[in-house]
Amino acid sequence: MALHESEAIVLRTYPLREADLLVTLFTRVEGKVRGVARSAKKSKKRFGGALEPLTVVRAFYDVRERNELARLDACEVLDSPLSSEVSYLRAVALAHVGEVLDELLPDREANDAVFRLALAVLGHLRGREIWMPITYFQLWMTRLMGYLPDLSECIVCGRSLNGGRAFYHVLADGLMCVDDKRLASSELSSDSRMLATQMFRAPIDTFTGVTWPKELGADLRKLLMQILQRHIEKKLTTAAMLEKIDG
Amino acid sequence: MSKFAEPMTRLIDELKKLPGIGSKTAQRLAFHILRSDDDDAEALAAAVRDVKASLRLCSVCNNITDVDPCVYCSSATRNQRLVCVVEEPTNIASIEKTKHFNGVYHVLHGSISPLHGIGPEQLRIGNLIKRVEHGQVDEVILATNPTVEGEATATYLSGQLRRNGMKVTRIAMGIPVGSDIEYTDEITMLKAMEGRREL
Repeated sequence: MALHESEAIVLRTYPLREADLLVTLFTRVEGKVRGVARSAKKSKKRFGGALEPLTVVRAFYDVRERNELARLDACEVLDSPLSSEVSYLRAVALAHVGEVLDELLPDREANDAVFRLALAVLGHLRGREIWMPITYFQLWMTRLMGYLPDLSECIVCGRSLNGGRAFYHVLADGLMCVDDKRLASSELSSDSRMLATQMFRAPIDTFTGVTWPKELGADLRKLLMQILQRHIEKKLTTAAMLEKIDG
Repeated sequence: MSKFAEPMTRLIDELKKLPGIGSKTAQRLAFHILRSDDDDAEALAAAVRDVKASLRLCSVCNNITDVDPCVYCSSATRNQRLVCVVEEPTNIASIEKTKHFNGVYHVLHGSISPLHGIGPEQLRIGNLIKRVEHGQVDEVILATNPTVEGEATATYLSGQLRRNGMKVTRIAMGIPVGSDIEYTDEITMLKAMEGRREL
């Protein structure tokens, strides 16, 4: 029984029995791993603040044959959300990143691109500016999971949407032109499509220092959330909470 | 067919619903109740009934109480202008154990938890804001847990209360008494350094 070691992000914890915690980790080496942290609720000596959601840790765990749950042996904190102020806004944004990763990633399947994306986004979720990192995260997450349709052409007639208006619908798999849009479709502005193109070409650091009100890219985020929620076939709790936040 | 008589199975099933009680413990407790005196069993049943019938939330601080306002809010010897905000009623006992806090409390009955869909509107904040607005408070101490959720709750409350010019303080975070710095994790150490005080 070898001890596994990996950089990991703590996604969620659930109370288990009297004093244990069931921990969902997104590890760099093995993807999403669920494990039991014994006595983590009762004694903080062993894990300290390392099991707080969205903490980046170096995790040591062992996996037994025919046992779905790993045994979490120790966690060293590499970066903690508690190292800077946790506003309500930031707490919702962090929880959203955790929930999306937890819901979308399959168990025990490494995905280095998603791991690097998550690290980069967590690094930018520090102050009160949440809308840029959240937009970047949702956009890249949709693309990396293979759910993002071509944003440059109509899925019905194949016509190029560049320079024209584009629409999306909760039940459609991509964008539609003005002639093919369905009833109750919403418009995706050309500014938001441009933003998406820029985000695919540049790292997240490029977008820091720019003021991002909630309205900026709101239609793009709505489209991305619709796509993600359609694929996981459930509503994300944190998506509704983000929606309720005032600009 | 059930292993036990129907009333016994029912009691085991009810006991199993309690936190930390599994099948074996529930069976052990049920047999203990069965073997105990009639008076003891009756007293237990009456205590369970009474706790639901007579307890309610204090209209001032939301603490669980049998009299309204609760013993803290109606005490003439406590400083009613110093309010300590806690997440759960059970947190009060921990603070009372210090025997050094002479103020009163406000219980939120939870903390902001976006993953569970709990935002500020789900917490019992309204009557705290009213107390502050009515000028009944000089200082609010935020004693929520040192977790992401507790911190988010404290930051949110601090923003709301400071609008009224209220003095808002946060309990210190750091190394537990009797422990060793060598074994302290990075975040606790960071918080301890941030919260250092002059001697």
